[in-house]
Amino acid sequence: MNNLEIYKSVFVESLQVSSDNFNENLEYNEIPEWDSIGHMSLISNIEEKFNITFETDDIIDFSSFKKGKEILTNKYKIAF
Amino acid sequence: MPIASSLLNKPKLVAKLKKFYEYVNKNDGKVGQKTRGIDLNFNNACNLRCKYCFTNSPKGDHVKEYLDIGAIKRLADEADELGYFEFDLQGGELLLQPNKLFEVLEAIKPERFYMYLTTNGYHLDEKMAKKLADYKVSRVSVSIDSMDEKIHDEIRGRKESWKRAIEGLEHVKNAGMDPYLNITVGHYNANTEHFKQLLDYSKNKKYKTLLNVAVPSGMWQNAEEIICDDKDREYLRKIRKEYKNLVRNIWNPFDKNHEKILGCTTVNRVYVTPIGDVLVCPYVHIKIGNIFEQSLKEIIDHGFSIKYFRNHSDLCLAGEDKEFIKKFMTKSGQTIFKPALAKDIFSKEDFIK
Repeated sequence: MNNLEIYKSVFVESLQVSSDNFNENLEYNEIPEWDSIGHMSLISNIEEKFNITFETDDIIDFSSFKKGKEILTNKYKIAF
Repeated sequence: MPIASSLLNKPKLVAKLKKFYEYVNKNDGKVGQKTRGIDLNFNNACNLRCKYCFTNSPKGDHVKEYLDIGAIKRLADEADELGYFEFDLQGGELLLQPNKLFEVLEAIKPERFYMYLTTNGYHLDEKMAKKLADYKVSRVSVSIDSMDEKIHDEIRGRKESWKRAIEGLEHVKNAGMDPYLNITVGHYNANTEHFKQLLDYSKNKKYKTLLNVAVPSGMWQNAEEIICDDKDREYLRKIRKEYKNLVRNIWNPFDKNHEKILGCTTVNRVYVTPIGDVLVCPYVHIKIGNIFEQSLKEIIDHGFSIKYFRNHSDLCLAGEDKEFIKKFMTKSGQTIFKPALAKDIFSKEDFIK
C-alpha cells in the first residue's frame, strides 16, 4: 500500500465507516463517528502507522481529511 | 467550522486528552491512576421521581443545599491543574434551574474540559440545547428506560417524560453537541428484546449509547438481584462488538477492536456532592475527603492509597464486583449524603504505604 492508501485505510478503520461511504471531503463532526473520541483514535492510529507524534496544535488543526494530509505532508514530511 | 463546544475549539482539552491517551497506551490500555473526570452534583433537587435514583432525590434528600460557586470555581481550577479532562454535571435535575446551571458553567470554564450534562431531558427544548452549545457544553446525556413510553413514564414517575427526553436528544444532535442515550442495564433487562430496542434506536439515530450497569445503591440499596451476572457480562462483551456506538466508562474508548478494558475508574472519576464531600464514584458512597477541608490533590492521593481503588479491576466495583459490594457498599446504609468514611470502612491492610 502507498501512503495515501494507508492514510485512507486508517480513516476507514478508526472511524468505522464503510469504504463505500468514505469520501475525501470528510470533515470533523460531519459524521457521528468522527467525534472527540473518534478524533483521538484517528490521531493515535495515524501516529502508529506513520511512526510520528503529533504536536497538540496539529491535533487541533486536523479538521478534515484534506487538512490532515496537508499537515502530514508539510510538517511530518510524509509523501503522498 | 466546528461549533464552540467542539473538541477542536478547546486546545487545553486536546492537550489533556492526548496526555491521557498516551498514559493509557503506555499502561497496557489501562487507566491506572490517571485523572479522568469530575462528576459534580451541585444541587440534588429533581422534577422526576425515578424508582432507581442513586441520589435519593425522590426522598427529598438535601434538595435545598447548593455547592458554593466559589468552591466550584476552585474545584475546576484544581481539576484542570491535575489533568482532569472530563467534567460531568449531574443532579438532581440540572435544567430545572437554568440560571443556576449557567452560573456554574461560567465558574467551571468549559473551554478547558470535555464538558457534559446528564439530564432527564424533561426541559431540554431546542432553545436550551442551542444555549448549552453556546456555553461550550460538548455532550448531553439523556437517560431512557424503555422504548415503551408508558414504561419509561412509570419508572420516572411523570407523564410525558419519555416524549420530552426523546425530543431532547434530537435537539442535542441538531445543536451540534454529542448526543448520548444513557441506558441502565442490569440482570433484569440484559439480553431482552426490550433492551435491544433501546440499543437499536440509539444506533439508528446515530447517537452514542452509554451503558451504566445497575448498582445496588440509593433507591436500589440492597437490591442485589439487579446485578449483572457472568452471562449478562458475556452478552455485554458481545454487543460491544456489534454496536460500535456503545460506551462504558470501564471500556477503553480508543481500542479499535472494541475489546480492551480500561478498568474501574473509582477515584479516576470522583463524585462531588452539594456539601462538598468527595466520593470515589457516583455509585460507591465512600468518602475520601471534602473540598472545603482538603485540596483535590490531597483527596485523590488519599483515594489512591486504598488498594481497591489503586489496583486495576476489570469489573465495575459498584455494579459487578459482588464481593466488594457486600463488604463495602450494602452494610451500613450509605447514601451520597451519609457516605461511609474511607478511614473507618477499610482496615490498615487495605491502605498502601
